[in-house]
Amino acid sequence: MSLTRRTLMAGAGALAGAATLGRDAGAQQRLNVGVVLIGPVGDFGWSHMHDQGRRRMSELLGDRVNATTVESVAPPDFDRVVTQLVRTGHRLIFTTSFSYFAPTQRLAPQHPQVFFENATGPTTLPNMAIYNARFYEGRYIQGVIAARKSRSKTIGYVATFPVPEVIHAINTVMRGAWSVDPSMKVRVVWVNAWSNPAREADAARALIDQGCDVLCSHTDGPAPLQLANERGVFGFGQASDMTRFAPRAHLTSSVNNWGDYYAERARAVIDGSWRPTDTWGGLGSGMFRMAPWTNMTPEEVSEAERVRDAIAAGTLHPFEGPIVRQDGTQVIAQGQRLTDDQIRAMNYFYRGIDVAIPG
Amino acid sequence: MTLLEAILLTVITASTPLLIAAIGELVVEKSGVLNLGVEGMMIMGAACGIVAAIATGSGAAGVAAAVLAGMAMAAIFAALTLGLAANQVAAGLALTIFGLGLSGVVGASFVGAQRAGIGKIEIPLLSEIPFLGPVLFNQDPFVYASFALVAGVSWFLTRTRAGLVLRACGESAASAHALGYKVLRIRFFAILFGGACAGLAGAYLSLVLTPFWTSGMTAGRGWIALAIVVFASWLPWRAALGAYLFGGITILQLHAQGAGFRVPPQLMSALPYLITIVVLVLIMRLRRGGAAGPAGLGIPFVPDR
Repeated sequence: MSLTRRTLMAGAGALAGAATLGRDAGAQQRLNVGVVLIGPVGDFGWSHMHDQGRRRMSELLGDRVNATTVESVAPPDFDRVVTQLVRTGHRLIFTTSFSYFAPTQRLAPQHPQVFFENATGPTTLPNMAIYNARFYEGRYIQGVIAARKSRSKTIGYVATFPVPEVIHAINTVMRGAWSVDPSMKVRVVWVNAWSNPAREADAARALIDQGCDVLCSHTDGPAPLQLANERGVFGFGQASDMTRFAPRAHLTSSVNNWGDYYAERARAVIDGSWRPTDTWGGLGSGMFRMAPWTNMTPEEVSEAERVRDAIAAGTLHPFEGPIVRQDGTQVIAQGQRLTDDQIRAMNYFYRGIDVAIPG
Repeated sequence: MTLLEAILLTVITASTPLLIAAIGELVVEKSGVLNLGVEGMMIMGAACGIVAAIATGSGAAGVAAAVLAGMAMAAIFAALTLGLAANQVAAGLALTIFGLGLSGVVGASFVGAQRAGIGKIEIPLLSEIPFLGPVLFNQDPFVYASFALVAGVSWFLTRTRAGLVLRACGESAASAHALGYKVLRIRFFAILFGGACAGLAGAYLSLVLTPFWTSGMTAGRGWIALAIVVFASWLPWRAALGAYLFGGITILQLHAQGAGFRVPPQLMSALPYLITIVVLVLIMRLRRGGAAGPAGLGIPFVPDR
């Protein structure tokens, strides 16, 4: 069942309530799972893939679960939507955005009988687990490919909000690029939105007009990549395989796979073994993979695959020292690695990135 | 192409949907009706435009469908506010919410489908003017339509008898009625025109700017168009200025960020709103007038017999 926020709210839960009543009468033991999405299911990126995960969970668990997706929930509406889901009998709720972390943390103690799972959040609570994929591993590979592809030696980055997830992604892209060519530069535009296609496209236009010829994007949809295609530069897909949006521009995409995790967690709730875990799966875990390489020469492909395999095997670590901040202070020395907590709290750019962090 | 030309081109494309929607709403408000449903009509235009364009393979069919969808939404609004004399604010808000939801349903099976955008049309001779030519006269048809709309509506409102009658309906519906004008019919056509413009603006988003469908893709542009009408004191040329200011600063702040200006992007993102409001209010103060909206704006009219 897929509801939009508005039908959910406008119907004052009448619809959902009625559906739940029917369900309760039919199958008492079914687990109701709620998935709250920050963007539309149709963004063909982040939210779309969470919905695909929800589908995969339903496929794997069949009639042991009942899943409700609520899409395009702006943070101010979050409390109402979640309260509504709790009231209509949902016992496992995935809140699939970093923007939902603080509100989930606030609501979880008010509903101790419900299990919450927040995507990309930093800390857990007794009834709130966190999960994420190590997307930075894909970013490192993007950097390597971008450095091979770029003629202007400048990468354009369509960024969303200055949160650690985005900051360490930009750092990692550059780390990857510098491993090929230390003279690589980056330009960053913050669009202050996860999904606003026209503004994303405008940001991409601005970056291309300023000489960037490979675009990375952190927004949820394909707009920047599509624009790269139109303007004859290269770009990467986010969250889903975006080859078809940009047949000439697409190099590779990080393709997310949440379904297996969702099924595992729903199973844990059903058999009573749910714990507030902290899951951060990398390329090796199958939580995401790199989509087919396109518009790349065989040498570029084999290099990208070599890097990918090294990261998956753990022989190459994107956050290996030395790591030096923009202002020159050293974070860790050679031979050390950032801990997961340090990566998750990253609020600085590396030396060599000529961009200010807002705020 | 120089960077400046590139920026100006992008400014025009970013401003055009705002301008088209604002001009439509301006006419509606001049007739005395406040339609807050611009966002809803716009997104229905975007959805129906791309759906029809993909289904038929024709961009023109897409545009026609978008305009019709906007008008259909407007007709619902007209039925409520003119036919039943319902509260215009409430009906407009409802129209926006309805449009956002319905467009999701219309576009649902076209998610991820895409088509090539509508291309640019070069106007011979004019496009060869140095600098201005390529920026102004090598554009997509929507941009030309927006130029024509501004000039046309401005001429219509100030220079024609029909425009005068429309304004009379907005200032004092009772007087216009007493003079024998069919206030409700005139307002109905104004509302339809507003819907057509909003639909056209939506089509620009889904057929030109980002040629695919994703729900909520108007992202508040309908509201900005509404605000522009008010701050432009209901004058078409000022609405054009407001739309270009807003679009221009939106693009410039993106460029400033890309170029590494050390200003917080949150502030930069707020700048288009701030500067547009400040400039239009200043103009309003300096010109000492035009500030007051149509006297009958938002007041339902029920003709007595």
